[in-house]
Amino acid sequence: MIHPYTIVESLDPRSKIISFLFIILCLITTPVTRLKDFGLYFLLILAIASLSKITVGQVLKKVFVLIPFVFFIAIFVPFIKEGNVCWALRIGYWEFPVTYEGIWTFLNIVIKSSLSILLLVIASLTTAFPDFLKGLEMLRVPRLLVMLMSFMYRYIFVLLDEAKRLIRARSLRYFGSRYREQFRIIGYMVGVLFIRTFERAERIYGAMVVRGFNGEMPSMQHFTFSYRDFLFILGIIISLLFIVSGIIYNVEHWRIGHFHLWQTL
Amino acid sequence: MANIIKVSDLRYYYPDGTAGLKDVSFEVEEGETLVIIGANGTGKSTLFLNLMGILEGEGCINIMGLTANKKNIKEIRKRMGLLFQDPDDQLFCPTVLDDVSFGPLNLGWDPDEVTAVSQKALMMVDLEGYESRTSHHLSYGEKKRAAIATVLSMDPRILLLDEPTSGLDPRSTSKCINILYNLKSQGKTLLIVTHDIFLAQEIADRILVFSEEKRPVAIGNYREILSNRDLLLKNNLIHQHQHRHDKEVHEHEHRHDYTHKH
Repeated sequence: MIHPYTIVESLDPRSKIISFLFIILCLITTPVTRLKDFGLYFLLILAIASLSKITVGQVLKKVFVLIPFVFFIAIFVPFIKEGNVCWALRIGYWEFPVTYEGIWTFLNIVIKSSLSILLLVIASLTTAFPDFLKGLEMLRVPRLLVMLMSFMYRYIFVLLDEAKRLIRARSLRYFGSRYREQFRIIGYMVGVLFIRTFERAERIYGAMVVRGFNGEMPSMQHFTFSYRDFLFILGIIISLLFIVSGIIYNVEHWRIGHFHLWQTL
Repeated sequence: MANIIKVSDLRYYYPDGTAGLKDVSFEVEEGETLVIIGANGTGKSTLFLNLMGILEGEGCINIMGLTANKKNIKEIRKRMGLLFQDPDDQLFCPTVLDDVSFGPLNLGWDPDEVTAVSQKALMMVDLEGYESRTSHHLSYGEKKRAAIATVLSMDPRILLLDEPTSGLDPRSTSKCINILYNLKSQGKTLLIVTHDIFLAQEIADRILVFSEEKRPVAIGNYREILSNRDLLLKNNLIHQHQHRHDKEVHEHEHRHDYTHKH
């Protein structure tokens, strides 16, 4: 028996990818005017999170890194979007009109992307990246794409380390120079990094070829799609249907025999 | 015993025309440990890449009775494993187990067998329990051993090891040498590139010395070669330098990791 607080972690990565994709799909196609729906999506995401062992702190830490980016992109929309002016921001001599349409678009972007980010954060906290890649591969995502992601995951830190060493080597011998000089040095560094990466790629390819690489990326773990995965996907799809169709708002009026369903619950 | 590797008149030029290898000829017996020593940039690694068919030079390479050409190269790669100097090049998969099982899976072995050989390989390098670890988070010594495991899992009869001990601390070095001893006692043929004279002295049966002209200048029994001071000095494997003993300053050769008496 799996502990109830680790259900999401123990699921097959495929079922997580499928069901989370469904949620995001429904989320982004919901018209922004149905504000209540987004509350329900939020509850659904919370319900998923409660089935895993991740803590609120972990989630918030990651979410707060990402959301400001969205916010800064969206914050200018109300001023740019044309339509009925509802208010104007005055800074000294200038006047910036804000439109109703702009505010709706702003809400649209912020609400949808925040919820999607929240879901993605939960997904990344409950799935190890290698497992996620294997899930994608088993879902027939093009092999080249999966391989590309896998190599990026493996070598991004190696590359960053290399870049860090270059920057350190530069700053140790850097005593201030004109701007143009600095750009030249940055150019050199980017060039050196590129050549090193290129050469490393050749060596890695050599290492792959001598171990029999012929275009396929074989992998060992075979996940099993158990009844729990099936139930999880089913549960998500049913709750999405309820939200999308609006049935959920009528639950209180349902009758079983002479009783309101709401009262029997 | 039969010669398992025969190389004659191997030459290699890089695309820009610089010589990588010139007139390389040598033979290796089955079960033998041949240590290839030489200063930096003398073509030792290039030789390995040629043996594995990653680089193609002129000349003749014969491995276990198979002439190296396009047709035979897959068969040769099944029987001969190459360890790269930088473990980050060798470990390219998301997890250690993926890397160790990469070779066997490519050879088309069935999953149970692959699991067994991967476990055995990890055990041999003392890394049990590291299966689902990410290579990036391993220490350098662990990376190096994991890299060795990726070669061992294919169970090759010949192993080409490029600087297996470089960059390791003393304890990791001795762990690595133990692994090499084990392989040697299993009857594997080892070719080891190094400029660590200490490693050569520990494990070599014979030593091949590469000169800065990118060609081998001497091959022979390890005692013979290591006691040939002029040869080592000339090929930059030991060097003369000033040395102080209290008040007396004199010049004598210096071998790293080599204790000398006066």
